[in-house]
Amino acid sequence: MLRRYETIFITHPELSEEDHTELEKKLRSTITAMEGDAIKLEDWGSRKLGYEIGRNSRGRYFLLDYLAGSDLVREIERNLRLNDQVLKFQTVKVTDRVSPETDKTLKMEAPGEKGVKGIERPSTLDEKMNPEVEQPESEEGERK
Amino acid sequence: MKPPIKRKRSFQRRKVCVFCADSAMKIDYKDIKTLSHFITERGKILPRRISGNCAKHQRDLTTAIKRARNIALLPFSIVSP
Repeated sequence: MLRRYETIFITHPELSEEDHTELEKKLRSTITAMEGDAIKLEDWGSRKLGYEIGRNSRGRYFLLDYLAGSDLVREIERNLRLNDQVLKFQTVKVTDRVSPETDKTLKMEAPGEKGVKGIERPSTLDEKMNPEVEQPESEEGERK
Repeated sequence: MKPPIKRKRSFQRRKVCVFCADSAMKIDYKDIKTLSHFITERGKILPRRISGNCAKHQRDLTTAIKRARNIALLPFSIVSP
């Protein structure tokens, strides 16, 4: 049974082109070998990290979106752990029990999605947020 | 004698959960632009009484922020803001 997962992994910021292709090839072959289905692999490029990881303050982010069973996830994570170019990774289950039909629609929309979509989306929050939220003190006062 | 009542701001805007108000807004741990509205400058999660979020969305938000922290999209703490 397949589930949809996404794995973010961070590599060294100056990842060489051959290491990149090698890693990508390795992941793709693992997914096909274990009857998973890669939906997309996004490259977010080099970003500043929220905190240092092994004395690196920058890292290159990748997002791998795929369908897999639990054993494939374990195998992918094992590969990432063995690769010393990979600083950190995190897998999140997106949806449980993917049926083959939804799988097809996912693949259809996959080529259109490129780059840093998820992260650079302009937020509508700026106008909506109440400017008064930054003053917790007055709130406290009113409670008493 | 009672202490003098402090002057409050003249009206209080009723706070509504921004995620309930706009269903188009999704909580996603990869979307740090949205998440960063709900953390303080020290990197802490903004409490519900200040952000005005409902319990459900605050819960989802907390999970999302923690995931983002884990993968270094957000800091755990900022020592000198």
